[in-house]
Amino acid sequence: MGGFLDYSPGNSFLHRLNPIVKIFLSLMICVSCFITDSPFFCIAIIFLNIVMAASAGILPRALAMLRTLIKFCTFLFLIQVFFIRDGTVLFSLPFDIYVTDKGVMFSLMMAFRLVGATLPLALMLSITKMNDLSNVLVGTLGMPYKYAFSLTTAIRFIPVFTAEMAGIMEAQTARGVAFDTKNIFRKIGLIFPLCVPLLITSVRKIEGAAISAELRGFNCRKRDSGYKSYPFRAADIGIILFAFALAAAGAFSPF
Amino acid sequence: MICFENVSYSTSGIDIINNVSFKLKKGCFTALIGANGAGKSTLARLCNGLLKPTSGSVSVGGFDTALVRTSRIAKFTGFLFQNPDRQICKNSVRDEIRFSLECVIEDKTEIGIRCEKTLQEFSLNGDRDPFSMSRGERQRLVLASILAAEPELLLLDEPTTGLDYRECMHIMECVSRVNKKGATVLMVSHDMEVVQDFASEVMVLNDGSLLAHGRTKDIIRNEPLLARASLLPPQITELAIRLGGGYENAVTVDDMVLSVKKHIRGAE
Repeated sequence: MGGFLDYSPGNSFLHRLNPIVKIFLSLMICVSCFITDSPFFCIAIIFLNIVMAASAGILPRALAMLRTLIKFCTFLFLIQVFFIRDGTVLFSLPFDIYVTDKGVMFSLMMAFRLVGATLPLALMLSITKMNDLSNVLVGTLGMPYKYAFSLTTAIRFIPVFTAEMAGIMEAQTARGVAFDTKNIFRKIGLIFPLCVPLLITSVRKIEGAAISAELRGFNCRKRDSGYKSYPFRAADIGIILFAFALAAAGAFSPF
Repeated sequence: MICFENVSYSTSGIDIINNVSFKLKKGCFTALIGANGAGKSTLARLCNGLLKPTSGSVSVGGFDTALVRTSRIAKFTGFLFQNPDRQICKNSVRDEIRFSLECVIEDKTEIGIRCEKTLQEFSLNGDRDPFSMSRGERQRLVLASILAAEPELLLLDEPTTGLDYRECMHIMECVSRVNKKGATVLMVSHDMEVVQDFASEVMVLNDGSLLAHGRTKDIIRNEPLLARASLLPPQITELAIRLGGGYENAVTVDDMVLSVKKHIRGAE
């Protein structure tokens, strides 16, 4: 299945799109999630994300991400719903704690928006090679190579650090640290000391990568150094129009 | 101490370990050898419950690893990983050893005594920052913090990789000392010289299946068996096999020296 944000190879319609268009589409999906006031539109966006993931052959990964996001959003919902005091009271609890209709709606929208806006960017990055992304950022958008490289390297390092953290937790569990406890608060407390080895390993890895890039002539690279071209095809234009239509639909959704 | 019964392990649809069965007696020193990707590290992780078998059962010290938490098994097992940096999480050598002890012992006085004893035994400066130490020193620190807890079972995943000869011997002599005191050792290694010098028995793993399990002397002289696992015997053993004529029984340098001396005397 591959880890979170690992590139998933394929030749689907979405894989073949121009990297800029992929990122543009995901950004417009995020925008449409935030400009709409309709929970149904947000649900439709989440469904669209799932359909896109299935068409790109990364449905299991998308569902895994969705499950994680739902857990996180449920937690946020439960916290948020008690802080909105406006609206009609739906039910009351002791100590002047109550839940209002506006609170439920606001918290629900926040949860939907978070899921709908997080999924597309992660999915698009899963079907885009980081080299292609940095090439288009430099070649098409004119971003200085150093910045583009830093951005793509930061994204590339996320799964590396996730794996490193898993390795550190495994090593500490083997030592007797009770990460396998079912008490979530105890587990969170145990995770904090692990920031030290993770930080040290991360800094060492980044330093190694920087030295390696420097030795391979990183600073000699100019805007014209890339030989690969990324032309805009009819499908790319179609997707750009679809992205605009989606944002407009989000803004004017009637239900 | 360890009992594998028809153990298989697979992940993401890939079979890593296939129907492996073996028993390791208390106090033995076993080396686990095999080519890259043979499943050696996975098998070691199955031993202390870091991984749970897909089928079959793994019993360690009488506990079924599928039913008991790894942190419980860790009370009597020590696991030395290839990368020491994953195990170090404190800012001083002393704190690192103490942290390891705190995971398995509750008596603070006992922790203090054992910590100072370990520092002396491993010639470590307790106030030093572990992350400013060399790789070999960090590996030694991690081993020290594991051995401070006096584990009954020691699992070593390529403990000498990337170390110079002196550090390698330092680590292996510590392990050997603990083994002589009664601890069971299972060591994953590619270094056939180390295996030959320290292990009393060897298991050969190939493509997740156990090819052989026997005495070190018998296994490392079996060239066809080692070839199946993409391994070569240690150079001195290979020399002895090639020379033949009375030399083929020499497995170590000392054996070879004795055989050569005997041969010269015989010729005189």
